[in-house]
Amino acid sequence: MDFTLVELDDDHRQLQQEIRTFLEGLFTPDVFAEEHETGSGYNKKVYEELGARGWLYPEKPVEEGGAGFDLVAERIMDLELFRQDARVMMMRGTSSLPLKAIRKYMPADVADPILKDAVEGRVLVCLGYSEPDGGSDIANAKVRAVQDGDMWTINGSKMWTTGAHVSNYTFLVTRTDPDAPKHKGITMFLVPLDTPGVTIQGIRTFSGERTNIVYYEDVVIHDKYRVGGINDGWNVLHGPLDEEHSIGLDMSGGLTDLSIGAGFCRVLGRAINEVAEWAHKTPAPDGSSLADDVQVRERLGAAMVEYEAGLCTPGPMGRVKASDALVQQSASLIDLMGPVGLLPLHADGAVGEADTEYAHRFAQGTATYGGTVEVFRTIIANHVLGLPKPNYPGAKVFMAGKKK
Amino acid sequence: MDLLELRRQDYSLDEDHQLLLTAFGEFFSEQSPTSLVRECEPLGFSQDLWNRLVEMGGTSMGLPESVGGDGAGMIELTLVAEEFGRAIAPVPYIEHTVTARALAAAGESTVLPAALDGSHIVALASFPVQAGSPQLVPAGAVARSVLALVGDDLVLFTVDTPPAHVVNQGSTPLAWWDFDAIADRAVLATGARAHEIYDRAHDERMTLTAAALVGLTEPALNIAVEFSKTRETMGVPIATLQGVSFPMTDVAIAIAGARNVARKAAWYLEHAPDERPELPAIAMVYASQTATKGTQVTAHLQGGLGFTIEADASLYFLRSKGWGALAGDPQAKLIAIGDHVLNTVN
Repeated sequence: MDFTLVELDDDHRQLQQEIRTFLEGLFTPDVFAEEHETGSGYNKKVYEELGARGWLYPEKPVEEGGAGFDLVAERIMDLELFRQDARVMMMRGTSSLPLKAIRKYMPADVADPILKDAVEGRVLVCLGYSEPDGGSDIANAKVRAVQDGDMWTINGSKMWTTGAHVSNYTFLVTRTDPDAPKHKGITMFLVPLDTPGVTIQGIRTFSGERTNIVYYEDVVIHDKYRVGGINDGWNVLHGPLDEEHSIGLDMSGGLTDLSIGAGFCRVLGRAINEVAEWAHKTPAPDGSSLADDVQVRERLGAAMVEYEAGLCTPGPMGRVKASDALVQQSASLIDLMGPVGLLPLHADGAVGEADTEYAHRFAQGTATYGGTVEVFRTIIANHVLGLPKPNYPGAKVFMAGKKK
Repeated sequence: MDLLELRRQDYSLDEDHQLLLTAFGEFFSEQSPTSLVRECEPLGFSQDLWNRLVEMGGTSMGLPESVGGDGAGMIELTLVAEEFGRAIAPVPYIEHTVTARALAAAGESTVLPAALDGSHIVALASFPVQAGSPQLVPAGAVARSVLALVGDDLVLFTVDTPPAHVVNQGSTPLAWWDFDAIADRAVLATGARAHEIYDRAHDERMTLTAAALVGLTEPALNIAVEFSKTRETMGVPIATLQGVSFPMTDVAIAIAGARNVARKAAWYLEHAPDERPELPAIAMVYASQTATKGTQVTAHLQGGLGFTIEADASLYFLRSKGWGALAGDPQAKLIAIGDHVLNTVN
């Protein structure tokens, strides 16, 4: 166990200052204004300037376009980006997932230029996983890919393809054998989004983020864009993830978060700080400060307990706990503030940076994306508690509709 | 709070910690089966188990080497507390440990040697002593000395024979102590130092109780898990129903988090006590919620069976509050945690 403050050596201290100064210059008001307007989780200038320094994926070795950051430097970068409230960095995280599969499964002559451009901030890859009637059940994909010689024809539609409108490629889950069990008839492709037949339609969420529905109508691509073996898509999809998760133990010496839920907790932490500051400045009806009000103190205490619980819960469990904590406590904190808690950034009289108002909207997405909390509860029930899987009629149905 | 601190968040246990966990895990599971827990009701104390725990080093490990102890810190004690809780062992491990440590901190030397060898059990009063108000003292029915605050004095009250046990939901050795009537009182510290020692003992008690409640909830959950796999409805094990599996999953999630919060609180108490003073209360609140919910889920999941005294689920359920409430009202602690939040914003 170790919760010590990391003592930075001279090199790290210098790097921290360098990063901070650079990011302060990079994240100008127009960057935030554009993100507020588009909700894209992306900014061309930011990505290209970070990429040019090897700072977009700084943990990658220098020869792969990164900066060869060690764990401490990586943590410094993450915290400095958080300091800037860099919502525009969302597509970096999304894009990073398929890069591992591209490197592992595609021939070097196709993969290398794409990887180089991605690391340098000029190419983004979005995730073509969910479908309009599929949600988190990725293995149920119905988008069809049919082979004809060296070419494949793709038809169907994908939903929640966040970043499709700013991406160059989508990492697409397709059905290539409708007669095989559903996990065994899937093939992955890296589809260039400028291919004729691809139509991207924006969808706005109430957190302010934009996502997309993407239509594929007789989209013809070359076999070189196939990622991994035909009908081996499930392994391609899970390979990079399993690799990350198989370690099990924290090998970072406590320099990485226990779960992706830690990011949700930081959003809650900002809201807690904002409400605490607001309470200090706001007079109670009797003329004292709201910070002296027992209800305010108790509600902040309750939010703090949930914040800490979310932060301390590991792995997939932490993903569920932190999302629940953010959903419940952001709502409670808005109730505590009353009408003024409803005012968004820039509205007349909005509190602070309106972090609490935002947290309440943002929270709802955390319960869904990357697999709903129900999907994760099911995984925990089966794999941690060892509970038997329910035998639902659809679980073993073959895609063509017949049972074997 | 500072969300940008560059701190390690390493919850892993080293080899010594693992060995300690295994040793005390085996000790408690062998020496304190649920049959013993039942035999010791309603008092909740086994002299024989206490003697064995003393032999195992359970009463000396947390005391400084300068007074003959083994110098273990809060992390080690928290690991032991979790195993103690898992076995719902009928011994006053937490009360005795935190009080003896407070005596050592106060430089007490009359009672301490007998506390070290377990022959003289000591306990901590939950509230400041007020004239005319006797109070219920956890472990007070087996303790010969109780440490309490009287105004700004830290006072050790000692009796020849502990007062009578009062039956209670958790079957713990609670007793009314009427401090006004006790002549043998030693002032161990005064003023700020008195409060410092007393508050520290309370923080340690909250942290160890949190760990014990985590330990207590886990075997309770296991009962529910096993029952749900074999009990069938409509031709399927009830475990396959999400209305059954999801509450258990949420308990498992809470256990995993509460365990880490308790260990983290212990680390801070040991290494940086001034930096996160609100953590023991957070650990206590979250563990208390976890135990309350976890044992309720377990009892309820077995339907009427879980509601019977015969079911082991009842042992855990009755102690979730029976132990949890001894360390004070979680809701009241929220206010103190909130104050900390309010005091640490710019």
